[in-house]
Amino acid sequence: MPKVIKLYVRYVDAMNTKVGKFSQYLVFAMMGILLYESLSRTIFNRPHIWVVESAQFLMAAYYLLGGGYSMILDGHVRMDLLYGRWSAKRQALSDIFTAFLLMLYLVFLLLGGVSGVRYAVTYGQVNYTPWAPPLAPIKIIMTLGILLMLLQVIAIFFKDLATIRGEKIT
Amino acid sequence: MSYELIALLIFASMMVMLLTGQRIYGAIGGVATVFALLLWGEGAEGMPFHASFILLNWYPLLTLPLFIYMGYMFSESGIASDLYHMFHVWMGPINGGLAIGTIGLMTAVAAMNGLSVAGMAIGASLALPEMLKRKYDKVMISGVIQAGSSLGIMIPPSVVLVLYGMIARQPVGHLWMAGVFPGLLLAGLFVAYIYIRCKLNPSLGPALSAEERQMSWGQKFRLLRAGIIPLVIIFSMTGMFLMGITSLVECSAAGAAATTLAALVKGRLNRQVIEDTLRNTLSVSCMFMWVILAALCFSAVFDGLGAVHAIESLFLEKWALSPFGIIVMMQLTYLLMGMFLDDTAMLIIVAPLYVPLVIKLGYDPIWYGVLYTITCQIAYLTPPFGYNLFLMKAMAPKEVTLGDIYRSIIPFVIVMCIGLAIVMLFPEIALWLPHKYFAR
Repeated sequence: MPKVIKLYVRYVDAMNTKVGKFSQYLVFAMMGILLYESLSRTIFNRPHIWVVESAQFLMAAYYLLGGGYSMILDGHVRMDLLYGRWSAKRQALSDIFTAFLLMLYLVFLLLGGVSGVRYAVTYGQVNYTPWAPPLAPIKIIMTLGILLMLLQVIAIFFKDLATIRGEKIT
Repeated sequence: MSYELIALLIFASMMVMLLTGQRIYGAIGGVATVFALLLWGEGAEGMPFHASFILLNWYPLLTLPLFIYMGYMFSESGIASDLYHMFHVWMGPINGGLAIGTIGLMTAVAAMNGLSVAGMAIGASLALPEMLKRKYDKVMISGVIQAGSSLGIMIPPSVVLVLYGMIARQPVGHLWMAGVFPGLLLAGLFVAYIYIRCKLNPSLGPALSAEERQMSWGQKFRLLRAGIIPLVIIFSMTGMFLMGITSLVECSAAGAAATTLAALVKGRLNRQVIEDTLRNTLSVSCMFMWVILAALCFSAVFDGLGAVHAIESLFLEKWALSPFGIIVMMQLTYLLMGMFLDDTAMLIIVAPLYVPLVIKLGYDPIWYGVLYTITCQIAYLTPPFGYNLFLMKAMAPKEVTLGDIYRSIIPFVIVMCIGLAIVMLFPEIALWLPHKYFAR
């Protein structure tokens, strides 16, 4: 495989691993906010209006930013009725063809995300809630997560190409 | 082209894409995008991302990563091995006792977890090797663990019922309460099945030898203390939620925190455990969330074709089914689809079509949620696509072959179908407890 591709795969892998290792800690952040709120409300009778949305935003960041890393961990299930019986090369070949559909999906996710961000930034969009937080930051984070996922899918596409040619990119 | 034909075409292309072995979320999302672009005019390109905002506002879904975290932390914490030891000693002396004890363990684990992952991990790493060592029939115990761990989505807390509650707009508290007795009924049926089979053929599950049974009653009773920590966890989570102290999402956070504390108390909490738990949690959560994201987009495209109306007219006018016949038909289609489809995706795509019809026919959507969950449990086991099958393949020791795993589920699927029929014929099994508890 050309050097550029090898470099690309290496960098994307490293970046997504870093981002994923960060976002896996967001579980603690969600847990912390929710525990704080339940104590504050039940014991001190002091509920907060920012709790639900902050937790929701954390959740969106968690699974979208973690997406690329979950691909590296190979955490996504497949229907392996036929796939499970194939050789590694044949699996890679099948993935190469079907990856175009996956990329199409991610490209449109990304396009939707970009236009959502543009709208939120231009009109200073806020959420329709008493707290009314601006939506631009979370939309940017979500779109970044989708972009990272797309980059990772492309990296895996290259890895599959290498597998077919009997090489291995690490 | 008629709408029915288009709907059929969409479904067929999704099945073909799934068969190629592409990741479920990619296959569903890709097909949804293509048909959105083909069928929908302006705004079609925004449909995939729009789903992410629907998902953002599904607040109860926050329970998903927290319950998954809890499951992994629980299986690392060593609480399960104490519990297993307790069941081992108390149930060991009878034929098939360890398998019955494993169902007991799985029921306890199910009361502390909302998915079947934790049960599978504990069953495959703890109970399976012990039973193999004592010459239990490997086909039977492979089924015991898969069927037993599926109780995780029925006995509260249950993530599947949370998801159903969101789609059907039903209160989760009622749904969880409704899951208690059907869950115990299924556990009871499993125990009865194991007991009868081992009575007929003791070589399937030999009783513990005399040396192994030597233990004073004092020691035996001290083992029961293993049940204390689980009771504390169940109280801090499900108990506080049902008493109305914590909200649904807060209760999952409380459960996760309580389990972490329990691991700390047991001296099992170290950097490696935390790191592994967090990584596994991220991996499984992302898998579910991306599947749900794609399925929501698919469901929106599908819904736009008027699929709800099409199904209604098919069942009511074309086939002229009785109301109960429709419920039976729905369960049959679920069972069939559950073999091939991802169960989460199935719920998101099919439930919006069925639930309005169920309500229109005058049935209780809470009861229907329980029926759906039992079919989901069965779907977890039935090949070619089932989460418990995948987990079993990944976790089982070498002597348990793929053929063993496939063969092992047959009797348990039959037992679960009997359980499903019982709950269908006697809705009170599910509805008595929530009516009693929430009656003003």
